[in-house]
Amino acid sequence: MNENLHLLESSNDSSPIIVLSWWLSGIFFLIIVLLILYVKRLRNHLRVNAKIEAKYQEEYESCLVTYLYSGNEEEAFSPEQLLIISELKESIVDPFKRKIIISTLLKLRNEISGEMGESIDKLFVKMGLLRYSLAKLRDKKWDVIAIGIRELTQFKIMGVNKLILNNINHPTKEVRKEMQLYLVHLYAFKGLEFLNVLETPLSEWDQIQLLEILQLNNDSQIADIKPWLKSSNDSVVNFTLKLAKLYNQFEAKDELIKLLNHKSEEVRINTISALSHLNILEAKNILKNSFNERSLEEQITFLKMMENVHENSDKPFLLEHMHHENFEIKSLVMEILKSINFEESDLYEVETKKTITA
Amino acid sequence: MSNPKKIVLAEDNSVLSLLLKFRLEKEGYKLLIAVDGKQAIELIEEHDPELILTDIMMPFVSGLEVISHVRNKLNLQTPIIVFSSAGQEEIVLKAFDLGATDFMSKPFSPHELVIRVKRLLI
Amino acid sequence: MDTSTLQIIMSIIHYFFIVFAAVAIASYVILAIISVVETIEYMKKNSFVNYKEISTSTFSPSISIIAPAYNESLNIVENVRSLLSSHYVNYDVIIVNDGSKDDSLSKLIEAYDLIRIDHYINEHIKTKPLRNGVYKSTNPAFDKLTVVDKENGGKADALNMGLNISKNKYVACIDVDCLLLEDALQKLVKPFLEATDTKVIAAGGVIRIANSCIVKDGKLLEINFPKKWLEQGQILEYLRAFLLGRMAWSRLNGLLVISGAFGLFDKKIAIKVGGYDTNTVGEDMEIIVRMRRYMEDQKQKYKVAYIPDPLCWTEAPDNYKTFISQRNRWTRGTIETLKKHRKIGFNPKYKALGLISYPYWFFFERMAPIIEVAGIIYFGILVALDQVRWDYAFAFIVLAYLFSVLFSIVAIVSEELTYHQYKKKSIGRRLVLIAFLEPFVNHPTILYSAIKGNIDYYFYKKIEWGHMTRKGMTQG
Repeated sequence: MNENLHLLESSNDSSPIIVLSWWLSGIFFLIIVLLILYVKRLRNHLRVNAKIEAKYQEEYESCLVTYLYSGNEEEAFSPEQLLIISELKESIVDPFKRKIIISTLLKLRNEISGEMGESIDKLFVKMGLLRYSLAKLRDKKWDVIAIGIRELTQFKIMGVNKLILNNINHPTKEVRKEMQLYLVHLYAFKGLEFLNVLETPLSEWDQIQLLEILQLNNDSQIADIKPWLKSSNDSVVNFTLKLAKLYNQFEAKDELIKLLNHKSEEVRINTISALSHLNILEAKNILKNSFNERSLEEQITFLKMMENVHENSDKPFLLEHMHHENFEIKSLVMEILKSINFEESDLYEVETKKTITA
Repeated sequence: MSNPKKIVLAEDNSVLSLLLKFRLEKEGYKLLIAVDGKQAIELIEEHDPELILTDIMMPFVSGLEVISHVRNKLNLQTPIIVFSSAGQEEIVLKAFDLGATDFMSKPFSPHELVIRVKRLLI
Repeated sequence: MDTSTLQIIMSIIHYFFIVFAAVAIASYVILAIISVVETIEYMKKNSFVNYKEISTSTFSPSISIIAPAYNESLNIVENVRSLLSSHYVNYDVIIVNDGSKDDSLSKLIEAYDLIRIDHYINEHIKTKPLRNGVYKSTNPAFDKLTVVDKENGGKADALNMGLNISKNKYVACIDVDCLLLEDALQKLVKPFLEATDTKVIAAGGVIRIANSCIVKDGKLLEINFPKKWLEQGQILEYLRAFLLGRMAWSRLNGLLVISGAFGLFDKKIAIKVGGYDTNTVGEDMEIIVRMRRYMEDQKQKYKVAYIPDPLCWTEAPDNYKTFISQRNRWTRGTIETLKKHRKIGFNPKYKALGLISYPYWFFFERMAPIIEVAGIIYFGILVALDQVRWDYAFAFIVLAYLFSVLFSIVAIVSEELTYHQYKKKSIGRRLVLIAFLEPFVNHPTILYSAIKGNIDYYFYKKIEWGHMTRKGMTQG
């Protein structure tokens, strides 16, 4: 009877399932052994590399600092500097060392400006590193191209626009982005011209990066932002609203007011906040009159604007909304009323407390 | 000058601090380097420097706390120059509130820093 | 019953176990492959990202870190310090003291020069009331800090209080004893900022185990490998879950859980769905499922993001008692969440969420321990009746064992190729060793805790569960 109850039907010892599972076990075992050997090698390799890297890094850091202090006024490169350059030139042939040298240069380049910053850029070119960066632009892998563009950006290599612009329609988003950053980094507002034709959305991340880079450039001529405010690409409009705020673009007042009726809520909210930042009082009356038609978010942004620019004549409007059903609006209204009217502020205080504890 | 003036520099970027150390030591100052705010405070307490240079964004104890510690806990009037990143006006204002003497926005020119240091340490 | 019927029944049982095991293994393999592909892509994209621009920009969105604390007096001052030292400009820290019975509050007041302020709370979500009130620092160096002292209501209730108080766009919910890396906020906010047509509603990162690591002044100084097998096993388990699982779920947009230890949320949506559920022990999983369900119902394109960077280090249980009670709680949390949202399960209206994520969780997280124990009992009966074909049994057991070891080894390889956090010399050997031992050491305990969780859930429901039992991460 035992025989009948065996697991899967089969009286044969070498059932295919058993054979298969032993084969699989064997394969798994083999892979496990190979992977363990690999992990061992990999860990050793990483540990050794980290040690060497730290050593080189220290060496190159002091090398760079010595270089920067051994320049003189007369020559483009002093004899001491040329000596250091020729030493470094030997190192950059090795990709491992080259990477460390570039990262050492960058580590300092991002923190300093003025003559010394430019001196680092010159060193980058003189050492021959430019050649490697340009070679990256021709690579097949998109991430290599992006890194190449980034290097050219960080060392402010002008005059390679053509090569970089080759990537204007690169299928990978990241490459196109690096290209935009290059243009803005080197040409500030002029580099922003790509916004005229941009059809893809500019993510918030991109916008922040662009704004940060623009701010690094102190003496830039601010472009006429009005055309971008009219862009059919909402993300471009939102970005331009941030520019308007950052660079106090009163000139664009009329365009801004028009945007109060934009189809996108996000644009309208950002417009209110930009108008508020610029203290454009005209907008206040428009918004007061259209208050009830606006979304909650717009109403709140508007009241936040009013906190800074309120006058006595706003009182009737505020009293009208004192009992608004939304908590945030109500408390903003109360706050503004309080600051308009100091004598009666106790009264509002009591009222606020009531609404809040209610 | 037998007794060089002491400067504590708190900065987590090793190349930058090396660069500034070289430059300022050439001007005849003695540099004490800290890699974070905590170490900066220890150095300040131990050496009572004539000037403090500190980055705002630092591991663990921020530059703001260093200022606060120097002014409020140690009650020292040592001049302090803070380094901030571009666009951090709000933090810079806070630093001044706490008693910072001067600030420099990164990226900055080391040359300009030396001029400011000299002016403060006349 | 004649022998042939018995035979048929037994065959059905055997096929059931075999099919279950095969599908489970296949899904692990598929998830692992997707994870590896995605991780490679992520590493490429992030090899040249400059996070500094985001961390220092005043245009970066505002974030509130919400950290609930219950009787944390021992380390609270240091922990808060670590939270205050994040490298991100636009953020604040809200510590919610959830009715602690110790001197947490007075310690904080002392250390950070706090004073009580008047603060109106917009009660979007109903919570337990304030106890002593809201505190801010008089020292401008700490003006990021807000401490809220409220009556005890549990972790979920404390987090809800934080949601009510925060004025910022995003909230990072974190365990107060978690060691947050300085660049964690900018890394985790990136997915929110990168999205253009999809709305990111929440994001999570990797949690690492801090046992035996040297932490000084809220800073991780040295990464060590703990001595106990229990702790080592958990490290391996976390590596597998985070490196070979979550990345794939994020790619499939089917992530059902973000660690309770650290996650970033869109505050508006978190509030809109009603905040954390105070009636479950699995509030971290439950809120994600509810937020997803809300977005599906709204028909909005959305995503729960995940990034493979280690962002935060936390203590894992180092003794069996705590470990069992933690896993017991996770089991109950999973059961409760899946039960509460059973409407989405197998419902084509919820697409990937209803057809992939939910079933996977139901079968391979919720049911797996039960099926495994059923299998063991069945095997036991066969042994007792001397009905086992040992050639089959032996072949299958060896195969299953080698597969689980292989899977762990692949996780170790992935870790070495990506983040290589355990740099010290002998750790590699010990990681490999624990990969062989774990099936005998940790696995039976996990199984036991899961079964206990099921029993507790069905038979002892009324028991009041500890107020604020800490939770490292939720299984995945």
